[in-house]
Amino acid sequence: MTAGAAVAAARSGAAGASAVRVTALRKSFRSRHGSVEALRGIDLTVPAGQIYGFLGPNGAGKTTALRILATLLTADGGDAWVAGVDVRRDPSGVRRRIGYVGQRGGADIEATGRENLVLQGRLYGMGREETDHRAEELIELLDLRGFSRRIVRSYSGGQRRRLEVALGIVHRPEVLFLDEPTLGLDPQNRANLWDQLRGLREAGTSILLTTHYLDEADQLSDRLAIIDQGRVVAEGTPRELKGRHPAAVTITPRPGASEPAELARELEREPLVRQVRLDGDGLRIEIGEVTTGLAAIFDRLRRRGVDVEGVSLQEPSLDDVFLHETGRSLRDAADPQAIEAT
Amino acid sequence: MSFLLQTALLARRRLLETLRQPIWVFMGLSVPLLYLALFAPLLTSLAGGPGFPRGGVLDVFVPGILALMAFGAGMGAGWIVIAELETGVIERFRVTPASRLALVLGTVCRDVVTFAVPAIIVVVVAVPFGFHAHWDGVALLVVLMALLTATCSAASAALGITLQQIGSLAAVVTGLQLPLTLLSGVLLPLSLGPGWLQGVGHANPMYYAVEAARQLAAGTIDSGTVALGFAVTAVAALLAIWWATRAYRRAMA
Repeated sequence: MTAGAAVAAARSGAAGASAVRVTALRKSFRSRHGSVEALRGIDLTVPAGQIYGFLGPNGAGKTTALRILATLLTADGGDAWVAGVDVRRDPSGVRRRIGYVGQRGGADIEATGRENLVLQGRLYGMGREETDHRAEELIELLDLRGFSRRIVRSYSGGQRRRLEVALGIVHRPEVLFLDEPTLGLDPQNRANLWDQLRGLREAGTSILLTTHYLDEADQLSDRLAIIDQGRVVAEGTPRELKGRHPAAVTITPRPGASEPAELARELEREPLVRQVRLDGDGLRIEIGEVTTGLAAIFDRLRRRGVDVEGVSLQEPSLDDVFLHETGRSLRDAADPQAIEAT
Repeated sequence: MSFLLQTALLARRRLLETLRQPIWVFMGLSVPLLYLALFAPLLTSLAGGPGFPRGGVLDVFVPGILALMAFGAGMGAGWIVIAELETGVIERFRVTPASRLALVLGTVCRDVVTFAVPAIIVVVVAVPFGFHAHWDGVALLVVLMALLTATCSAASAALGITLQQIGSLAAVVTGLQLPLTLLSGVLLPLSLGPGWLQGVGHANPMYYAVEAARQLAAGTIDSGTVALGFAVTAVAALLAIWWATRAYRRAMA
């Protein structure tokens, strides 16, 4: 790197290599019951070229954060850069570089899909021919052929959502924001959309999405931030986050073969075994590492001549991570007081 | 330049939407025609009396009907805005670099067209029934009423974004409709009424538009009343458009 390039890189800070950078972001809303703190100081860096997930219960502040980044809301405090542009100082610069698909989608239901795409392109300043060409491209890419000239009101949920994603990327944004992109979709449409989002990532688009689905965060995101009550409680790749928590295997020995309590004490002496609990007829064994841990356990059982009747493995899930960080399960954690989407 | 292009694109989208639901065009036309067919005959016996020149009942009545049409064509905008807050269309547009003023004017332009086309039809239909059309006056009259439509359209959109609920919007608009139209003398000129009624009318911006409209229909162009009508309506239109643009900029839902 030349000296000049180094200076330029330093000037743009981490923003050059990141899709989104956020420091100490705060936002409160006034409501009838007083003030609600939606964001209580969020710090994040979203690397470029990845799918990044905000995972959290309803009311956690995910949507608020996304709306600030998309210039729909202004923060009370802190700073945010999107594609290297300061959201507060240059919101129109941010708008040119981003696509945004809100929870409500935003397709005009009285127009055809194609009309929606063309108008969107023209509003971004694209020429007529360029927009027509791009609309055809997107109709192909998101599988809209067959109904692109029908009124959107007649679309199925999956068709409409694909159109709305297409609307978000007409102008080839550097960063695409998606708020709960698969909410209300059936499993097949969901899987299709995941594939299409991965395709966008391969084509170089950075994607930031919110979700309260564990499997979506786990399987679709390259990295994720777990957000709860306006704070980031954990951040990393899904594997890193889950790797901090033990897996558990439940083994049911054949009855009468051995005294379970005695077996439990013996298994606890294995270095990879963290804890053994009696669980009905079985033993629930927490292990630090799945493959070598399991091998060691079965090795010992075989040497003692214990026959095994049943085995079930519980790998750590993001819900375990959430539970560990917040003391609650993600399923029960929706905050009824918080106001989402405002 | 891009602002004008955006306005044209957004107005085109709105007009397509209207053309796809022609029922509204018919409904918009049926109200003034019913007034002409079923209410105007009641006025013929008043001809020659105070406020009604001999043989010129429709000359007084048609401008009022056009004002009612302008009000109705504009005030529908808020309902569409609320539907678009719910489907996220407004949010999507707000994330694009499109001018907020263009977002407002797209709808305003459509409403002006959906006022002007049936308005011209009503004028033409009224001629054989005894409306004495002074065409230069009528042309200016349609322009003045287009300004009134723009005012109502932008104000309704601003109310829609601010209130966010169909029920509240309906309450406010119907609550405003009667006092605004009655106190502008759309059906009968306020000059027929007692002094206090005319006094209250002067506080209503729409009153000046309707007074100017009656003079224009009578062929009087260069009068103080006409100039005042244009001035008041233009200022009202600018204020309403500014209000709506500000509301679009801040829309939360």
